[in-house]
This record gives sequence, structure tokens and C-alpha cells, in this order.
Amino acid sequence: MSDQDIEKLETRCPRLGSPISFQYCLISGEDDAICWKVLDCWWEIFDVEGYLKKNMSETDFNELMARAEKPKNKISSIIEIAEKAKKKLED
Amino acid sequence: MDERKILLREDEMPRQWYNILADIAMNPPLGPDGNPVTPDQLAPVFPMNLIEQEVSTERWIDIPDGVMDVLKIWRPAPLVRAINLEKALGTPAKIYFKNETLSPPGSHKPNTAVPQAYYNKEFGIKRITTETGAGQWGSALSFACAQYGLECKIYMVRISFDQKPYRKSMMATWGGKCIPSPSPDTKAGRDALERDPNTPGSLGIAISEAIEEAVSDKSGQTRYSLGSVLNHVMLHQTIIGLEAKKQMEKIGQYPDIIIGCAGGGSNFAGLAFPFVHDKINGKQIEIYPVEPAGCPTLTKAPFVYDHGDTARYTPLLPMHSLGHAFVPPPFHSGGLRYHGMAPTVSQLVDEGLLTPKSVKQKEVFEAGILLARTEGIIPAPETNHALAAVIDEANKAKEEGKEKVILFNWSGHGLLDLTAYENYLAGNIKDIVLSDEEMEEAEKIYADYPKPKSLKSR
Repeated sequence: MSDQDIEKLETRCPRLGSPISFQYCLISGEDDAICWKVLDCWWEIFDVEGYLKKNMSETDFNELMARAEKPKNKISSIIEIAEKAKKKLED
Repeated sequence: MDERKILLREDEMPRQWYNILADIAMNPPLGPDGNPVTPDQLAPVFPMNLIEQEVSTERWIDIPDGVMDVLKIWRPAPLVRAINLEKALGTPAKIYFKNETLSPPGSHKPNTAVPQAYYNKEFGIKRITTETGAGQWGSALSFACAQYGLECKIYMVRISFDQKPYRKSMMATWGGKCIPSPSPDTKAGRDALERDPNTPGSLGIAISEAIEEAVSDKSGQTRYSLGSVLNHVMLHQTIIGLEAKKQMEKIGQYPDIIIGCAGGGSNFAGLAFPFVHDKINGKQIEIYPVEPAGCPTLTKAPFVYDHGDTARYTPLLPMHSLGHAFVPPPFHSGGLRYHGMAPTVSQLVDEGLLTPKSVKQKEVFEAGILLARTEGIIPAPETNHALAAVIDEANKAKEEGKEKVILFNWSGHGLLDLTAYENYLAGNIKDIVLSDEEMEEAEKIYADYPKPKSLKSR
């Protein structure tokens, strides 16, 4: 399967609750990066690890793994977003 | 004839929520500065009465009359015996479910949307903001805000906004203002649109927009609301399990097994936490949170000391781990990822009070179809995870010849999620399983590492 074909594959996003293409997972994480759930959502469908390793640097791949292993606590991330928002508005 | 529905009268509804924080030890969440979060830091985002609930360790918290009045629109929810499913499986198990599909938006979500709207109103808030993915939470909050005369603004991720026109119509019918995210209404939205005017959006952007709108209201009359993960959300959902306990008492039954799907944890916690309280106090009961099969960090991977990073710069930390160099092989199964899940649920797993289970995509939909054809309700795709585990346990009971009592939470209907069924019925969902041999190979890396002690709250 070509990368283009892979990016058109669809599955149900457990966070959104609606069908999405693999291409969406590549841009729907924090700061438009790859979603941290990408491996869990796609491993049943194709070799997502192989795809990511081929298309990402080793550093970026390891960072994605680290985010997947230890996502932020929700309360902490809410406070972080609120503080970022207040700072942006002050600027 | 076997009784199918076990009902409570309104005057038999529980008058207090059960707070699990009274019974477990939790590490406090840390803020961006690395120090424990204080109520003041949350005050611009949530009303103080909900923040007090978020940190409360009181075991029982009164449900205000103003909340009860609205919950009674659909509660008490029936406890239903799944007689047709039992017959279809030929199992001696007795299978019961709490039918949470009967709320106006069709899921368990209003159990917390209603009290959240109530407490915001009590605190003097006029307007609530939130984000929604598929629209379940946005619908529930719109409904709840309508009951208390509050404004509700929902940032719906654009890709879902375009895919699910009926959800936004539901929200609008209840008076909620649902707009696609990113939007031009906030700085976070404008920045995202500037980067890509055609962006499909993401939950991260939608959350940022909803929080920004709340914290930037200089009048102080806007707050943000979240429908999962947080302690007060789990608290409000316990009405499900508290009702179920009363209903089971009425028929002289007590469950051997409790099952719920465990996405963000709230519908699972709602049913399970009151029974966890019993388990803490000596009851013999198995409690299974169920999630999609992911990389095997919890169900199969042992609790060991490991490096937190692949470069091994960090010290050895106690964790469920597949080793610092572990990278999931192409096709992996058998594990749960407790990502984005309620910390209380994760803690109970760590303490051994809950036994996580995982299920694969294909069996999830097979279960949903069987339940729809036997019990009649088309389940929400999330609910199907619990159903797959229920079928598994019912089949085990058949093999063992045991008349086990299984209780699960039917957390929502899937009438607005039919695309998922369409994909399954079209044969687009496949299963691939990782063998135990492959798992053992991945785990060899930490064979010689020291093993940490498993700590308990009591």
C-alpha cells in the first residue's frame, strides 16, 4: 500500500467519535502535530509504526512515543491552556 | 415469567452522590510550575462550588433538590435484565444493564451536565462554554443549560461539525450555540485559521477556544465545563451505580461482575464506584473497565522499574512498562492504555480493585450487532466495548456452568453514530492479534531489572 493510500484509510476516532482518515491523525495533535493516540487507533488496520518510522525523524518518533506513554493530567493541561490564553490576551 | 425491568419510584432515588476520594489516596495534580494545583488557579475556569467538589474528600455529597428536579425528567433509569441476550448465548449467567440511553440526548452525559449547569447557575454564572467532538457532550450540556436558563456555547471540531448535522441541530433546539472550531471568535481559533484556513480542526484547538472564551470574559460570568475525567464528573455519575444497587436489592440480587466501557472513565465510574466502595469494605466482586486494545502497558506488561526514556537518561521509575526501548510492533494487542482517563480509575487499577480488560474492534461491533438484535437498542460504539466483555464473561459462565450475575452500563444509544455500523457491516473493520510469544519477546528487555513494591491506600 502506498503512503497516499494509507493516508486515505478511515477508522473511527475515539476522541471525536466520528470517522476520520489517517491523514487527519497526522495533523490533529497538539500544535498541529501527530495525535498521540495514533498507534492505538491504527495498529489493528496497518503497520502504522512502520509508516511513522519511515516518515518521521527518530527524535520526533521517540517524542511521540513519550507523549503516548505519559499524556498530561487533565487539570494540569486545563490550567496551562487558561494561563496561555490569558497571556495571549494580555499580549 | 421473568421480570425484565426493575424500576425505582422517584422517591426511592439516591439523595447523595458517592465520592470515591474519601476512600482512596491520590497524588495531587501538578500545575505548569510543578507545584500542586490550587483552587485559585482553577477559579477563572470553573465555579468555586464545583472546584470544592473536585477536591472534596467527603464520602457522601447531597444532591440538591434543584438537580433532582431535572434528573427526574428521565431518572430513575431502569435496570433491565437482558433476557434475550442470555437466551441467545445459552448462558446460565443473569445479565442486567442500567439503561442510560433514555436521557433526552441519549447517553449518561446529562448526569453530570445537569449538576454542572445547576452549580454554575447557583454561583451566578450566565454562560457556559465547552468543546465537543461528536456532539454527545455538547448536546448534554445544551439540554442542561436550557433547564436552568443559561447560555451555552459549544466549539465543535470542524470535521465533526460537517459530518454530524443532527448533533448541532439537537444543540440548537435546546438553545445551545454550536460553532465549528477553529472559529474567528477566539485568538486560539484565529491563529489556527491563519496557519490553515481549511483546517479540519482538532479537540486541542476546540478546548483552547472554549477555555479562552471563559477566562477572557471580564464580567466573570462565563465558565468552562468538561464532561469527563474530572473528579466532580465521576461524582455526579455515581447516581447510576447507586440506583443500580437499590434495584438489585429489590430483587434480592448482587452482581458478581461489573462491566463498563472506560473511555474517559465517567460512565464506568458512575456504575462501578459505588460497588468499589462495597469491595473496599469486603464484598467479593469483580469490576472490569473495558477499553479498545492498544499497546499492552497495563493488562499484560508487569509493574517494574524502568527508564522513562529510550536514551536512559532518566533514573529508574516504577511503571507498567514494556521496557525503555520498547516500540510497539506493527500489530499489537492485549493491553489497555489509560490515556486521558480519570485519575481515580487509574489509581483503582493500580490498587488492584479494578481489573482492566481490552477488546478488539471487530468483536466490539459483533457484540453491538448481537445486542441490537436481541435487546433492541442500537448501542453507542463506546458501549459496544462493554458489551463485548459482557458476552465474553457470559460465555465463560456457560463453560464453567456458573449462574453468575453480570451488571453492565448501557451508556448510550448509537442512533447518531450509524457510520460506524455502516463501516462494520461493509466489512471494513479487521482484527489482528499479537501472540503471547511476541509479547514475551518485547518484555525480555527488563528481565533483570529490580521489581518495585505495589503500594496500597490502606
